[in-house]
Amino acid sequence: MKQYDFLGDDLVVNALLMEVADLLGGLIEQGRGGSIDLLGLPLSAKCMAAVEARLGDGEVSASLHVSGESVVRETAFAGVWWTRHADEAGRVTALLIEVAEVPEILRASLVDVRAGQLRLREMVAR
Amino acid sequence: MRDETVGDMLGRRGFSRRGLLKFAIAMTSSLALPPSLAPVMAANLAAARRQSVIWLSFQECTGCLETLLRTDSPTIAGLIFDFISLDYQESLMAAAGSAAELTLRQAVAANAGKYLLAIDGSIPVADGGVYSLTGGRTNVSMLQEFAPGAAAILAIGTCAAYGGIPKAFPNPTGAVGVEDVILDKPIVNIPGCPPIPEVLSGVLVYFVSFGRLPDLDDQKRPLAYFGTTIHDQCYRKPFYDQGKFAKSFDDEGARQGWCLFELGCKGPTTHNACASLKWNDGTSFPIESGHGCLGCSEPDFWDQEGGFYTSLAGGTGPGWRNAGIAAATGVALGAAAAIAARRKVP
Repeated sequence: MKQYDFLGDDLVVNALLMEVADLLGGLIEQGRGGSIDLLGLPLSAKCMAAVEARLGDGEVSASLHVSGESVVRETAFAGVWWTRHADEAGRVTALLIEVAEVPEILRASLVDVRAGQLRLREMVAR
Repeated sequence: MRDETVGDMLGRRGFSRRGLLKFAIAMTSSLALPPSLAPVMAANLAAARRQSVIWLSFQECTGCLETLLRTDSPTIAGLIFDFISLDYQESLMAAAGSAAELTLRQAVAANAGKYLLAIDGSIPVADGGVYSLTGGRTNVSMLQEFAPGAAAILAIGTCAAYGGIPKAFPNPTGAVGVEDVILDKPIVNIPGCPPIPEVLSGVLVYFVSFGRLPDLDDQKRPLAYFGTTIHDQCYRKPFYDQGKFAKSFDDEGARQGWCLFELGCKGPTTHNACASLKWNDGTSFPIESGHGCLGCSEPDFWDQEGGFYTSLAGGTGPGWRNAGIAAATGVALGAAAAIAARRKVP
Protein backbone atom coordinates (compact mmCIF):
# COMPACT_ATOMS: atom_id res chain seq x y z
CA MET A 1 0.00 0.00 0.00
CA LYS A 2 2.74 2.44 0.96
CA GLN A 3 4.71 1.61 -2.19
CA TYR A 4 1.62 2.30 -4.29
CA ASP A 5 1.13 5.64 -2.52
CA PHE A 6 4.74 6.55 -3.12
CA LEU A 7 4.52 5.59 -6.79
CA GLY A 8 1.33 7.65 -7.13
CA ASP A 9 2.89 10.70 -5.51
CA ASP A 10 6.01 10.36 -7.61
CA LEU A 11 3.98 10.30 -10.81
CA VAL A 12 2.06 13.40 -9.75
CA VAL A 13 5.26 15.24 -8.85
CA ASN A 14 6.84 14.35 -12.19
CA ALA A 15 3.73 15.42 -14.10
CA LEU A 16 3.76 18.75 -12.29
CA LEU A 17 7.45 19.30 -13.00
CA MET A 18 6.88 18.48 -16.67
CA GLU A 19 4.19 21.16 -16.73
CA VAL A 20 6.71 23.60 -15.29
CA ALA A 21 9.18 22.63 -18.01
CA ASP A 22 6.50 23.28 -20.66
CA LEU A 23 5.80 26.72 -19.15
CA LEU A 24 9.54 27.44 -19.33
CA GLY A 25 9.36 26.54 -23.02
CA GLY A 26 6.67 29.18 -23.48
CA LEU A 27 8.81 31.75 -21.66
CA ILE A 28 11.84 30.97 -23.80
CA GLU A 29 10.08 30.85 -27.16
CA GLN A 30 7.25 33.35 -26.80
CA GLY A 31 8.30 35.43 -23.80
CA ARG A 32 5.19 34.24 -21.96
CA GLY A 33 5.40 31.91 -18.99
CA GLY A 34 2.51 31.13 -16.68
CA SER A 35 1.55 30.03 -13.19
CA ILE A 36 0.31 26.90 -11.46
CA ASP A 37 -2.10 27.37 -8.56
CA LEU A 38 -0.97 24.71 -6.10
CA LEU A 39 -3.92 25.25 -3.76
CA GLY A 40 -6.23 24.35 -6.62
CA LEU A 41 -4.62 20.93 -7.11
CA PRO A 42 -5.52 17.89 -5.01
CA LEU A 43 -1.95 17.48 -3.78
CA SER A 44 -1.11 15.73 -0.55
CA ALA A 45 1.20 17.53 1.87
CA LYS A 46 3.83 14.94 0.99
CA CYS A 47 3.45 15.71 -2.70
CA MET A 48 3.68 19.44 -2.10
CA ALA A 49 6.85 19.01 -0.04
CA ALA A 50 8.35 16.78 -2.72
CA VAL A 51 7.68 19.35 -5.46
CA GLU A 52 9.19 22.13 -3.35
CA ALA A 53 12.23 20.02 -2.49
CA ARG A 54 12.90 18.99 -6.08
CA LEU A 55 12.65 22.57 -7.33
CA GLY A 56 15.13 23.60 -4.65
CA ASP A 57 16.47 27.07 -3.86
CA GLY A 58 17.86 29.65 -6.29
CA GLU A 59 19.61 32.98 -6.16
CA VAL A 60 16.75 35.34 -5.33
CA SER A 61 14.38 35.60 -2.41
CA ALA A 62 12.07 38.50 -1.61
CA SER A 63 9.54 39.09 1.09
CA LEU A 64 6.67 41.55 0.72
CA HIS A 65 4.69 43.10 3.51
CA VAL A 66 1.41 44.04 1.93
CA SER A 67 -1.87 42.91 3.50
CA GLY A 68 0.08 40.15 5.20
CA GLU A 69 3.37 38.58 4.23
CA SER A 70 4.28 37.20 0.83
CA VAL A 71 7.45 35.34 0.01
CA VAL A 72 8.72 35.07 -3.55
CA ARG A 73 11.66 32.72 -3.98
CA GLU A 74 13.42 31.72 -7.14
CA THR A 75 13.97 28.00 -7.32
CA ALA A 76 17.14 26.25 -8.50
CA PHE A 77 15.74 26.68 -12.02
CA ALA A 78 16.06 30.22 -13.34
CA GLY A 79 12.69 31.74 -14.12
CA VAL A 80 10.81 29.30 -11.89
CA TRP A 81 9.50 30.98 -8.72
CA TRP A 82 7.87 29.56 -5.61
CA THR A 83 5.41 32.17 -4.35
CA ARG A 84 3.49 32.03 -1.09
CA HIS A 85 0.93 34.69 -0.17
CA ALA A 86 -0.56 34.96 3.33
CA ASP A 87 -3.17 37.34 4.71
CA GLU A 88 -2.84 39.49 7.80
CA ALA A 89 -3.92 36.56 9.98
CA GLY A 90 -1.10 34.46 8.52
CA ARG A 91 -3.43 32.20 6.58
CA VAL A 92 -2.09 31.11 3.19
CA THR A 93 -4.27 32.64 0.47
CA ALA A 94 -2.31 31.54 -2.58
CA LEU A 95 0.57 29.18 -3.30
CA LEU A 96 1.94 29.38 -6.81
CA ILE A 97 4.69 28.11 -9.02
CA GLU A 98 5.30 31.05 -11.33
CA VAL A 99 7.30 30.89 -14.53
CA ALA A 100 8.44 34.39 -15.44
CA GLU A 101 11.54 36.54 -15.75
CA VAL A 102 10.21 38.49 -12.75
CA PRO A 103 6.91 37.70 -10.99
CA GLU A 104 4.34 40.44 -11.53
CA ILE A 105 3.88 41.01 -7.80
CA LEU A 106 7.48 42.29 -7.52
CA ARG A 107 7.06 44.97 -10.15
CA ALA A 108 6.15 48.45 -8.98
CA SER A 109 2.93 49.66 -10.56
CA LEU A 110 3.21 52.96 -12.44
CA VAL A 111 0.18 54.17 -10.48
CA ASP A 112 2.11 53.65 -7.25
CA VAL A 113 5.28 55.10 -8.82
CA ARG A 114 3.43 58.31 -9.72
CA ALA A 115 1.96 58.55 -6.23
CA GLY A 116 5.44 58.00 -4.79
CA GLN A 117 6.93 60.69 -7.00
CA LEU A 118 4.31 63.14 -5.79
CA ARG A 119 4.94 62.30 -2.15
CA LEU A 120 8.69 62.61 -2.66
CA ARG A 121 8.40 66.04 -4.26
CA GLU A 122 6.09 67.19 -1.49
CA MET A 123 8.53 65.94 1.11
CA VAL A 124 11.45 67.81 -0.48
CA ALA A 125 9.39 70.99 -0.85
CA ARG A 126 8.50 71.08 2.84
CA MET B 1 -16.99 60.03 -3.89
CA ARG B 2 -19.54 57.66 -5.45
CA ASP B 3 -18.07 58.22 -8.93
CA GLU B 4 -14.45 57.56 -8.01
CA THR B 5 -13.02 54.23 -9.05
CA VAL B 6 -12.18 51.48 -6.62
CA GLY B 7 -8.51 51.99 -7.50
CA ASP B 8 -8.67 55.71 -6.69
CA MET B 9 -10.48 55.02 -3.46
CA LEU B 10 -7.96 52.37 -2.37
CA GLY B 11 -5.08 54.65 -3.36
CA ARG B 12 -6.53 57.47 -1.28
CA ARG B 13 -6.44 55.10 1.67
CA GLY B 14 -2.83 54.13 1.07
CA PHE B 15 -3.54 50.72 -0.44
CA SER B 16 -1.05 49.98 -3.22
CA ARG B 17 -1.77 48.37 -6.59
CA ARG B 18 0.55 45.61 -5.49
CA GLY B 19 -1.85 44.97 -2.62
CA LEU B 20 -4.74 44.86 -5.07
CA LEU B 21 -2.85 42.40 -7.25
CA LYS B 22 -2.19 40.21 -4.23
CA PHE B 23 -5.89 40.29 -3.40
CA ALA B 24 -6.71 39.34 -7.01
CA ILE B 25 -4.24 36.44 -6.88
CA ALA B 26 -6.00 35.11 -3.79
CA MET B 27 -9.42 35.57 -5.37
CA THR B 28 -8.49 33.82 -8.63
CA SER B 29 -7.24 30.93 -6.52
CA SER B 30 -10.46 30.92 -4.49
CA LEU B 31 -12.60 31.11 -7.63
CA ALA B 32 -10.59 28.35 -9.35
CA LEU B 33 -9.68 30.76 -12.16
CA PRO B 34 -6.35 30.56 -13.99
CA PRO B 35 -3.69 32.55 -12.06
CA SER B 36 -2.94 34.42 -15.28
CA LEU B 37 -6.29 36.22 -14.85
CA ALA B 38 -5.14 37.88 -11.60
CA PRO B 39 -3.57 40.96 -13.26
CA VAL B 40 -6.70 41.35 -15.42
CA MET B 41 -8.93 41.07 -12.36
CA ALA B 42 -6.79 43.61 -10.47
CA ALA B 43 -6.92 46.06 -13.39
CA ASN B 44 -10.70 45.63 -13.76
CA LEU B 45 -11.26 46.09 -10.03
CA ALA B 46 -9.11 49.22 -10.02
CA ALA B 47 -11.12 50.72 -12.88
CA ALA B 48 -14.54 49.69 -11.52
CA ARG B 49 -17.01 51.90 -9.69
CA ARG B 50 -18.30 50.57 -6.38
CA GLN B 51 -21.09 48.08 -7.04
CA SER B 52 -24.46 49.00 -5.58
CA VAL B 53 -25.94 46.19 -3.49
CA ILE B 54 -29.49 46.34 -2.15
CA TRP B 55 -30.08 43.69 0.49
CA LEU B 56 -33.57 42.61 1.49
CA SER B 57 -34.17 40.27 4.42
CA PHE B 58 -37.27 38.10 4.26
CA GLN B 59 -38.32 35.04 6.27
CA GLU B 60 -34.97 34.41 7.98
CA CYS B 61 -33.10 34.17 11.28
CA THR B 62 -30.34 36.74 10.46
CA GLY B 63 -27.77 33.95 10.77
CA CYS B 64 -26.63 34.54 7.19
CA LEU B 65 -25.94 38.21 7.81
CA GLU B 66 -24.25 37.40 11.12
CA THR B 67 -21.82 34.98 9.55
CA LEU B 68 -20.95 37.37 6.75
CA LEU B 69 -20.33 40.28 9.10
CA ARG B 70 -18.38 38.36 11.69
CA THR B 71 -15.83 36.79 9.42
CA ASP B 72 -12.33 37.17 10.82
CA SER B 73 -10.71 37.35 7.44
CA PRO B 74 -9.62 40.99 7.22
CA THR B 75 -8.36 40.84 3.67
CA ILE B 76 -11.51 39.43 2.15
CA ALA B 77 -14.15 40.92 4.39
CA GLY B 78 -12.51 44.30 4.63
CA LEU B 79 -11.86 44.69 0.96
CA ILE B 80 -15.20 43.44 -0.22
CA PHE B 81 -16.91 46.34 1.48
CA ASP B 82 -14.54 48.61 -0.40
CA PHE B 83 -15.74 47.15 -3.69
CA ILE B 84 -19.45 47.40 -2.98
CA SER B 85 -21.78 50.09 -1.81
CA LEU B 86 -24.29 48.46 0.50
CA ASP B 87 -27.07 50.92 -0.19
CA TYR B 88 -29.82 49.23 1.78
CA GLN B 89 -29.81 46.65 4.57
CA GLU B 90 -32.49 46.99 7.23
CA SER B 91 -30.57 45.36 10.08
CA LEU B 92 -27.44 47.45 9.58
CA MET B 93 -28.68 50.86 8.50
CA ALA B 94 -29.40 53.61 10.98
CA ALA B 95 -32.55 54.75 9.24
CA ALA B 96 -35.90 53.18 10.13
CA GLY B 97 -39.53 53.50 9.14
CA SER B 98 -40.38 55.88 6.32
CA ALA B 99 -36.78 57.16 6.18
CA ALA B 100 -35.58 53.61 5.45
CA GLU B 101 -38.24 53.17 2.77
CA LEU B 102 -37.15 56.43 1.16
CA THR B 103 -33.55 55.25 1.20
CA LEU B 104 -34.55 52.05 -0.55
CA ARG B 105 -36.47 53.87 -3.29
CA GLN B 106 -33.64 56.36 -3.83
CA ALA B 107 -31.05 53.58 -4.08
CA VAL B 108 -33.17 51.65 -6.56
CA ALA B 109 -33.79 54.75 -8.70
CA ALA B 110 -30.14 55.83 -8.68
CA ASN B 111 -28.90 52.39 -9.71
CA ALA B 112 -31.73 51.17 -11.92
CA GLY B 113 -30.67 48.20 -14.00
CA LYS B 114 -27.27 48.04 -12.31
CA TYR B 115 -27.72 47.06 -8.68
CA LEU B 116 -27.27 43.59 -7.27
CA LEU B 117 -30.30 42.49 -5.29
CA ALA B 118 -29.22 40.35 -2.33
CA ILE B 119 -31.91 38.31 -0.61
CA ASP B 120 -31.66 36.31 2.58
CA GLY B 121 -34.62 34.35 3.88
CA SER B 122 -37.33 32.44 2.10
CA ILE B 123 -40.41 33.97 0.54
CA PRO B 124 -43.73 32.86 2.05
CA VAL B 125 -46.42 32.76 -0.63
CA ALA B 126 -49.30 30.99 1.18
CA ASP B 127 -52.37 33.10 1.93
CA GLY B 128 -51.14 35.99 -0.17
CA GLY B 129 -47.74 36.05 1.54
CA VAL B 130 -49.06 37.51 4.81
CA TYR B 131 -46.69 35.49 7.01
CA SER B 132 -43.76 37.87 6.58
CA LEU B 133 -44.15 41.61 6.12
CA THR B 134 -41.82 44.61 6.07
CA GLY B 135 -43.42 48.00 6.50
CA GLY B 136 -46.78 46.36 5.90
CA ARG B 137 -45.67 44.86 2.57
CA THR B 138 -45.34 41.17 1.84
CA ASN B 139 -41.94 39.77 0.97
CA VAL B 140 -43.21 38.43 -2.32
CA SER B 141 -44.53 41.83 -3.43
CA MET B 142 -41.22 43.51 -2.53
CA LEU B 143 -39.26 40.90 -4.44
CA GLN B 144 -41.51 41.32 -7.46
CA GLU B 145 -41.09 45.08 -7.31
CA PHE B 146 -37.33 45.28 -6.89
CA ALA B 147 -36.16 42.30 -8.96
CA PRO B 148 -36.88 43.85 -12.39
CA GLY B 149 -34.42 46.71 -11.80
CA ALA B 150 -31.59 44.44 -10.67
CA ALA B 151 -28.65 43.37 -12.82
CA ALA B 152 -28.69 40.03 -11.01
CA ILE B 153 -29.98 38.49 -7.80
CA LEU B 154 -27.93 36.87 -5.06
CA ALA B 155 -29.95 34.34 -3.08
CA ILE B 156 -27.90 34.18 0.12
CA GLY B 157 -28.37 31.17 2.38
CA THR B 158 -30.41 28.02 1.90
CA CYS B 159 -33.70 29.75 2.75
CA ALA B 160 -33.37 32.29 -0.07
CA ALA B 161 -31.99 29.66 -2.42
CA TYR B 162 -34.44 26.80 -1.85
CA GLY B 163 -36.85 27.76 0.93
CA GLY B 164 -34.66 26.25 3.65
CA ILE B 165 -35.95 25.53 7.13
CA PRO B 166 -39.17 27.58 6.74
CA LYS B 167 -40.01 25.27 3.83
CA ALA B 168 -39.62 22.15 6.00
CA PHE B 169 -42.67 19.91 6.19
CA PRO B 170 -45.47 20.88 6.62
CA ASN B 171 -44.35 24.31 5.35
CA PRO B 172 -47.25 26.27 6.84
CA THR B 173 -46.22 29.58 5.23
CA GLY B 174 -45.75 28.19 1.73
CA ALA B 175 -42.07 29.19 1.82
CA VAL B 176 -40.15 29.08 -1.47
CA GLY B 177 -36.80 30.25 -2.79
CA VAL B 178 -36.12 33.28 -4.99
CA GLU B 179 -35.97 31.28 -8.20
CA ASP B 180 -39.52 30.02 -7.59
CA VAL B 181 -40.78 33.60 -7.77
CA ILE B 182 -38.44 35.34 -10.20
CA LEU B 183 -38.01 33.55 -13.50
CA ASP B 184 -36.44 36.15 -15.78
CA LYS B 185 -33.32 37.38 -13.99
CA PRO B 186 -29.82 35.96 -13.56
CA ILE B 187 -29.83 34.34 -10.11
CA VAL B 188 -26.92 32.89 -8.18
CA ASN B 189 -27.69 30.69 -5.20
CA ILE B 190 -25.21 30.81 -2.34
CA PRO B 191 -26.75 28.19 -0.05
CA GLY B 192 -25.62 27.06 3.35
CA CYS B 193 -27.12 27.37 6.79
CA PRO B 194 -25.31 29.71 7.09
CA PRO B 195 -23.37 30.22 3.84
CA ILE B 196 -19.59 30.52 3.80
CA PRO B 197 -18.58 34.22 3.79
CA GLU B 198 -15.72 33.72 1.33
CA VAL B 199 -18.17 32.36 -1.25
CA LEU B 200 -20.20 35.57 -1.21
CA SER B 201 -16.96 37.56 -1.39
CA GLY B 202 -15.83 35.53 -4.38
CA VAL B 203 -19.11 35.99 -6.24
CA LEU B 204 -19.15 39.75 -5.59
CA VAL B 205 -15.54 40.21 -6.66
CA TYR B 206 -16.15 38.16 -9.80
CA PHE B 207 -19.18 40.27 -10.70
CA VAL B 208 -17.37 43.57 -10.08
CA SER B 209 -14.34 42.33 -12.06
CA PHE B 210 -16.03 40.79 -15.08
CA GLY B 211 -19.55 42.24 -15.07
CA ARG B 212 -21.31 38.90 -14.92
CA LEU B 213 -21.97 36.02 -12.56
CA PRO B 214 -19.45 33.18 -12.35
CA ASP B 215 -20.16 29.77 -13.87
CA LEU B 216 -22.96 27.99 -12.01
CA ASP B 217 -23.99 24.37 -11.50
CA ASP B 218 -27.46 22.97 -12.19
CA GLN B 219 -28.66 24.34 -8.82
CA LYS B 220 -27.43 27.82 -9.77
CA ARG B 221 -24.52 27.59 -7.30
CA PRO B 222 -21.03 28.92 -8.18
CA LEU B 223 -19.15 25.95 -9.58
CA ALA B 224 -15.85 27.05 -8.10
CA TYR B 225 -17.21 26.46 -4.59
CA PHE B 226 -19.93 23.87 -5.14
CA GLY B 227 -18.36 21.77 -7.90
CA THR B 228 -17.28 19.00 -5.55
CA THR B 229 -18.85 17.32 -2.55
CA ILE B 230 -17.79 17.73 1.07
CA HIS B 231 -16.82 14.06 0.94
CA ASP B 232 -14.49 14.59 -2.04
CA GLN B 233 -12.39 17.03 -0.02
CA CYS B 234 -12.85 15.57 3.44
CA TYR B 235 -9.72 14.76 5.42
CA ARG B 236 -11.54 11.65 6.75
CA LYS B 237 -12.06 10.26 3.23
CA PRO B 238 -9.02 7.93 3.46
CA PHE B 239 -10.84 6.14 6.32
CA TYR B 240 -13.94 5.82 4.13
CA ASP B 241 -11.77 4.31 1.40
CA GLN B 242 -10.35 1.86 3.94
CA GLY B 243 -13.81 0.97 5.29
CA LYS B 244 -13.11 2.42 8.74
CA PHE B 245 -16.30 3.92 10.18
CA ALA B 246 -17.22 5.31 13.59
CA LYS B 247 -20.30 3.42 14.86
CA SER B 248 -21.24 5.90 17.58
CA PHE B 249 -20.05 9.36 18.58
CA ASP B 250 -17.99 8.04 21.48
CA ASP B 251 -16.50 4.78 20.22
CA GLU B 252 -12.89 4.04 19.45
CA GLY B 253 -13.42 4.79 15.75
CA ALA B 254 -14.77 8.26 16.56
CA ARG B 255 -11.74 8.92 18.77
CA GLN B 256 -9.45 7.82 15.94
CA GLY B 257 -11.14 10.25 13.56
CA TRP B 258 -12.69 7.58 11.35
CA CYS B 259 -15.32 8.35 8.74
CA LEU B 260 -18.74 9.48 10.05
CA PHE B 261 -20.72 8.01 7.14
CA GLU B 262 -22.54 5.45 9.29
CA LEU B 263 -23.49 8.19 11.77
CA GLY B 264 -25.47 9.94 9.08
CA CYS B 265 -22.87 12.22 7.50
CA LYS B 266 -24.31 13.71 4.29
CA GLY B 267 -20.89 14.71 2.95
CA PRO B 268 -21.10 12.35 -0.06
CA THR B 269 -24.22 14.07 -1.42
CA THR B 270 -23.54 17.65 -0.28
CA HIS B 271 -21.89 20.20 -2.51
CA ASN B 272 -20.09 22.95 -0.64
CA ALA B 273 -16.59 24.18 0.22
CA CYS B 274 -16.64 23.67 4.01
CA ALA B 275 -13.87 21.05 3.88
CA SER B 276 -11.49 23.34 2.00
CA LEU B 277 -12.38 26.90 3.11
CA LYS B 278 -13.51 25.81 6.59
CA TRP B 279 -15.05 28.14 9.20
CA ASN B 280 -13.99 30.62 11.85
CA ASP B 281 -10.97 31.92 10.00
CA GLY B 282 -10.07 28.48 8.69
CA THR B 283 -10.20 26.79 12.09
CA SER B 284 -12.33 23.74 11.27
CA PHE B 285 -15.66 22.56 9.91
CA PRO B 286 -18.41 20.36 11.41
CA ILE B 287 -16.85 17.03 10.43
CA GLU B 288 -13.53 18.14 11.93
CA SER B 289 -15.44 18.88 15.14
CA GLY B 290 -16.75 15.32 15.22
CA HIS B 291 -20.22 15.70 13.74
CA GLY B 292 -21.39 14.56 10.34
CA CYS B 293 -22.36 17.00 7.61
CA LEU B 294 -26.09 17.84 7.69
CA GLY B 295 -26.18 18.68 3.99
CA CYS B 296 -27.38 22.23 4.67
CA SER B 297 -26.46 23.57 1.23
CA GLU B 298 -28.73 21.11 -0.59
CA PRO B 299 -32.43 21.68 -1.30
CA ASP B 300 -34.86 20.28 1.30
CA PHE B 301 -32.03 19.17 3.60
CA TRP B 302 -34.29 19.39 6.65
CA ASP B 303 -36.74 16.83 5.28
CA GLN B 304 -34.28 14.26 3.98
CA GLU B 305 -35.44 10.71 4.38
CA GLY B 306 -34.30 9.06 7.61
CA GLY B 307 -33.13 12.28 9.29
CA PHE B 308 -29.69 13.62 10.10
CA TYR B 309 -28.39 10.55 11.93
CA THR B 310 -29.37 7.83 9.50
CA SER B 311 -26.68 6.70 7.07
CA LEU B 312 -27.17 7.51 3.40
CA ALA B 313 -27.05 3.73 2.96
CA GLY B 314 -29.99 3.34 5.38
CA GLY B 315 -29.89 1.68 8.81
CA THR B 316 -31.01 2.77 12.23
CA GLY B 317 -28.50 5.47 13.13
CA PRO B 318 -26.06 5.64 16.03
CA GLY B 319 -26.48 4.19 19.51
CA TRP B 320 -28.09 7.13 21.28
CA ARG B 321 -27.77 5.72 24.79
CA ASN B 322 -24.00 5.96 24.65
CA ALA B 323 -24.10 9.29 22.89
CA GLY B 324 -26.38 10.65 25.62
CA ILE B 325 -23.99 9.48 28.32
CA ALA B 326 -21.10 11.07 26.44
CA ALA B 327 -22.99 14.34 26.12
CA ALA B 328 -23.91 14.33 29.80
CA THR B 329 -20.28 13.61 30.72
CA GLY B 330 -19.19 16.48 28.49
CA VAL B 331 -21.62 18.87 30.16
CA ALA B 332 -20.46 17.77 33.63
CA LEU B 333 -16.79 18.18 32.70
CA GLY B 334 -17.53 21.56 31.16
CA ALA B 335 -19.30 22.73 34.31
CA ALA B 336 -16.42 21.49 36.48
CA ALA B 337 -13.92 23.31 34.28
CA ALA B 338 -15.96 26.51 34.44
CA ILE B 339 -16.11 26.32 38.25
CA ALA B 340 -12.37 25.68 38.42
CA ALA B 341 -11.72 28.62 36.10
CA ARG B 342 -13.85 30.95 38.23
CA ARG B 343 -11.89 29.93 41.31
CA LYS B 344 -8.72 31.25 39.66
CA VAL B 345 -10.18 34.71 39.31
CA PRO B 346 -8.82 36.86 42.16
